[in-house]
Amino acid sequence: MNSYILKTVVFFLSLVVLQVFIFNHINFLGGINPMLYLLFLINFRFDQDQTFFILLGFLLGFSIDLLSQTGGAHTIAALSISFLRPFIIRYSFGVIAETPKSFQSSPKTLNRLVFLFFTISIHHLIYFIFVYFSWDALSLILKNTFLSSIFSLILVILINSLYRTKQ
Amino acid sequence: MQLVINTLLRFRNSILYLILLGISLLFLSNKSDFHQYKLEKYGLYLSGGIYNFFSDISDYFDLKKVNLRLSKENSTLKFLELKSQALPLYKDKIIKAGRFPFQVKTVKIIKNSFQNQRNYLILDQGSKIGIRPEMAVISSQGILGIVKSVSEHYSSIISVLHLDLKINVRLKNKSAFGSLVWKGKDPKKFSLEDIILSSDVKVGDTLITGGMSSYFPLGIPVGQISKVETSSENGYFKISVELFKDPSQVNYAYVIENQDIEELKKLKLGVSQ
Repeated sequence: MNSYILKTVVFFLSLVVLQVFIFNHINFLGGINPMLYLLFLINFRFDQDQTFFILLGFLLGFSIDLLSQTGGAHTIAALSISFLRPFIIRYSFGVIAETPKSFQSSPKTLNRLVFLFFTISIHHLIYFIFVYFSWDALSLILKNTFLSSIFSLILVILINSLYRTKQ
Repeated sequence: MQLVINTLLRFRNSILYLILLGISLLFLSNKSDFHQYKLEKYGLYLSGGIYNFFSDISDYFDLKKVNLRLSKENSTLKFLELKSQALPLYKDKIIKAGRFPFQVKTVKIIKNSFQNQRNYLILDQGSKIGIRPEMAVISSQGILGIVKSVSEHYSSIISVLHLDLKINVRLKNKSAFGSLVWKGKDPKKFSLEDIILSSDVKVGDTLITGGMSSYFPLGIPVGQISKVETSSENGYFKISVELFKDPSQVNYAYVIENQDIEELKKLKLGVSQ
């Protein structure tokens, strides 16, 4: 358990640092940046206490916002996704969240994809809504959400598969 | 009590989420002026609705008082109107008494700005009761402005507190004409320009509308001269005027319709051609 906490803390911190100093400066195709700190919110164990998880999500977004000098958009998006995660899990896997953690290592691929898709696209949608914060920019919000979501989704899948093969 | 605690515990995630969301919104609004502005706008929308509700209630309980005051105002206005009709200003018998082409409508001012250099008012009545652009707007004790544009239920007024607006006035006891222009600071302090200085102007002289603009009828009291300075270099007078009533402190107004305005316009057009 202690090694799990240590791993989580290291994972958290390294994701924050990587996001702020590397992934926020990729500017692929003119301005698309993947948000890989979502890996934390995706890979966090399903059977943990949700209250704690919401606090962690808030902390994650908040530290990224602080370090990258942005407003509160990351905070709000990460917080919302950590609040919504049980619903997304329930929807995409069709079971309640409190299944054993062995579940995570052998999910059906389609279910897992649906889960990733919803997590990432909802997060990006909330993020861009709060970045632009105006109904006039609706088309811009949707366009950015779409492109960035695809980019993030591909990278998340790649990194997760690498991580798993290493194990 | 147990129930309350249980409910709180059951919804602890949602409550925590809402609290943290509030914190992040606060954070967001502190960091960015744009978001602050936007959030303030939504806040204003909300609080505006609430204030409106309470103001409606207090309006309702004040109705009796308001009605009394209104009828009083109306009666003094009617009196003034009648007086202006038979104004002793028309000394010669060129204009026969009896025909007075101006009509009065009572309106409420719902927005009155006075902090800018070019101010506008908004009235709660519009084209539905017959308000049209270029009509004059007066209060119970003085002038307020000229109608600029009209929608069905609202109309916007160029306030006399507008640096570009000149109002034709004259002295009450002498027929010396001039233009009244706002100085741009105090809503009661105006200056009198373009006056023909053959006449001697004294402090305390009353100014009335001149009736030359075809917007305002002749003889509405506007204000009185508060200061006359002779500037030694060029021999011109610097005349300060103080209004009888602060135009920023008015809630009800009267829109004056000149029924002859089309006729006058046609005539003017004919002259210029």
